[in-house]
Amino acid sequence: MRAKLTDEQERIQETAKDFLEANGGIEFARREMEGEDVVDEVWAEISDLDYPAVTVPFDHGGLGEGMVYLSALLEATGRYAMPGPLPETAAVGAPLIAELGDEDQKDEYLPAVADGDVRLSLGGYNDRNEALPAAVGADGEGTEDGSGTVSGTETLVPSAGPVDGGVVAARTRRTGGHDGGTLRPGDPTAAGVSVNALDSLDRTRPLYDLELDLTVPAERVLGPVHGGGDALRRAADRFIIASCAMLVGAADRAVDMSAEYTSERTQYGQPIGKFQAVKHRTADMWIDMQSARSLTYYAAWAVDADDPDATRAVSAAKSYAADRLHRAFGDDMWNHGGTGFTWDHDAHIYLKQAKAWRNFLGTPEEHRDRLIEARLSE
Amino acid sequence: MDFEYTAEQEQFREELRTWLEENLPSGWTEGERDVPEDQDEREQFLRDWQARLYEGGWAGLHWPSEYGGRDASLIEQTVYREETAKYRTPQQVNAIGINFVGPTLMEEGTDEQKERFLSEMLNGEEVWCQGYSEPGAGSDIASLTTSAERDGDEFRINGQKIWTSYAHYSDWCFLVTRTDDSGVKHEGITTILVDMDQEGVSVSPIHQASDEDGFNQMYFDDAVAPVENVVGEVGQGWDVVMTLSSFEHGTTRIFSIEQRFEDILEYCEEHTRGGQPLVQDPIVRQELADLDSRIQAAKVSHLRNVSTQMETGMPGPEGSMDLVVADELANDLENFAVNVLGPEAALWEDGPEGGDWARDYLQTYGSWIAAGTGDIQRNIIGERVLGMPKDDKSQTSHREES
Repeated sequence: MRAKLTDEQERIQETAKDFLEANGGIEFARREMEGEDVVDEVWAEISDLDYPAVTVPFDHGGLGEGMVYLSALLEATGRYAMPGPLPETAAVGAPLIAELGDEDQKDEYLPAVADGDVRLSLGGYNDRNEALPAAVGADGEGTEDGSGTVSGTETLVPSAGPVDGGVVAARTRRTGGHDGGTLRPGDPTAAGVSVNALDSLDRTRPLYDLELDLTVPAERVLGPVHGGGDALRRAADRFIIASCAMLVGAADRAVDMSAEYTSERTQYGQPIGKFQAVKHRTADMWIDMQSARSLTYYAAWAVDADDPDATRAVSAAKSYAADRLHRAFGDDMWNHGGTGFTWDHDAHIYLKQAKAWRNFLGTPEEHRDRLIEARLSE
Repeated sequence: MDFEYTAEQEQFREELRTWLEENLPSGWTEGERDVPEDQDEREQFLRDWQARLYEGGWAGLHWPSEYGGRDASLIEQTVYREETAKYRTPQQVNAIGINFVGPTLMEEGTDEQKERFLSEMLNGEEVWCQGYSEPGAGSDIASLTTSAERDGDEFRINGQKIWTSYAHYSDWCFLVTRTDDSGVKHEGITTILVDMDQEGVSVSPIHQASDEDGFNQMYFDDAVAPVENVVGEVGQGWDVVMTLSSFEHGTTRIFSIEQRFEDILEYCEEHTRGGQPLVQDPIVRQELADLDSRIQAAKVSHLRNVSTQMETGMPGPEGSMDLVVADELANDLENFAVNVLGPEAALWEDGPEGGDWARDYLQTYGSWIAAGTGDIQRNIIGERVLGMPKDDKSQTSHREES
């Protein structure tokens, strides 16, 4: 029992924070928000720091670390809403290829991911209003040898513009659940794929539509035909942990901003942080942030350890963080008065990120339901 | 991050379990956990349990071996809390002595005090209470006015204390008094160990909202204590109060809350409404899941604090979070429990488990106030964790307003 990051994990948090602060902290996110494409610049830097290599297995040129290590890192990058598909690449794409890929696929993708030459994302939704797994995938046809077609639209795909590869989930067999999905790595610049950016609530992490009309040879199938469902579910769990870690980092900064501002801003002849209405609201932000951090690290550990409690742990983290951290960002806005509602104050960046993530890969309500189901099947 | 216990820690758990199975009052592990209603019988029952814990070597789990303790690590203490919550062991009647007063004496007491008091405290022969709050000094404890005046080799004590848990069972009191009211209020405070068995001390129970008499008023009317019973320096008692308070911040009841949640979950699986198990009701499921995730968060936050404390030594102000989160979680959990009963929620002793559900629900309103209200804990977090500006606190409120 040691509920604490290792010295090395704390060190990577410090270096990530130093790197971002040396680059103006939130500036990358603001430039991305204003329409500039900063991902190449960010990626070049973080590749030198080995961040994309974190979850790539050791044999393929990576650091071979798991979700606890990655969460520690993403907490630091999330503090400044760092743009770029690091959660998609490191929590979803690379582990999926490592888990399901054949040797050729692993050799093709993994060393390139570790070196920073390939970024990955995941196309999962075919419907913007439906929940997973019902909304899994584009229409696919597959034969048992793996060749087949993929057609239709994958929507709400994170970072599809700036990635070099994606894993596309196609529905190749009609079932109600995750079973019947087939995963295929793909290149968004290939013939038969068109990428359309969507105007997104969180402009630091824009979403895309992928229009697909592809014939896929057998060697482009990831894992068994119709059998990608479980791996997709686990990938979604890892993406949830990664998102929670980024939001925890953001909430940590929101607490710092609130505590600092309310200690300096004077009204009625005293710093407003002396008023208990403000002090207690800020204390509650801190409590909620610490609680979300606890759940995130516990879920990361449970997934790494393949603990039977992992499903419950992930759903607890998602449902708690989605609601409570969103409120913390709103409270940060309120603590800053009129200034809090301006474009120049950073609270809205985090608030929008939290809202954009709220329902992605399962609403808090769906996750609470999943949590109880896991409890009852213990 | 590692939430697995080592083989050695699991062996400690096994040893404790075996001991509990063999030593808990008969019927206890089968669910017949009867504690006598009658005050005197109840006191005897609790004192017997305290003595049994001592004989088994479990009473002074966290005490150093030089004082007869077990030298248990913080992780072993956590295992102990988990297991005693699972077995719902009887309360320790000398919890105040063993958990708070004893460790404070080890830090601040004289050799003679340690020699005189610690072993009797550990074996439960002498039960302790803490004389803190007064009618005019609750959250603002430093404004206390109970006076101790030097008279030869003794102090003469006059005044009133209130909300004192265990006072009706106690042999000794760790009393916070005022020996000087000429300066600011945090000065002139002196902590004294007072024998409760004397003419100048009287105790009367307070009838609580839960229809129980768990705490008391204490009256000091020319009570006496020898000078050598002063803890720390005369007039410097606030430092001693702070030392004791840091031990209060190291505790948690999250494991009992988790146990209670499991009971309620089981109730929701077993009971139906409209022909359907409660646990299939979408709203009940949402509420259960939210409570479950909050309990998980509080547990892990506590374990994170413990892991940090393993390296730093003393619990920090972060412990305020454990307190306020557990108090509010318990309140929400017990409210949910009573709500889920349906119309039966209107019953007292004719309700579930002879009224225990209703009593537990009411008690959570008291717990929120005890050991520093939720509001005070939020002040501590704001000021001592986040560095926000302190309230304007009166420095002289122990004096009568003129």
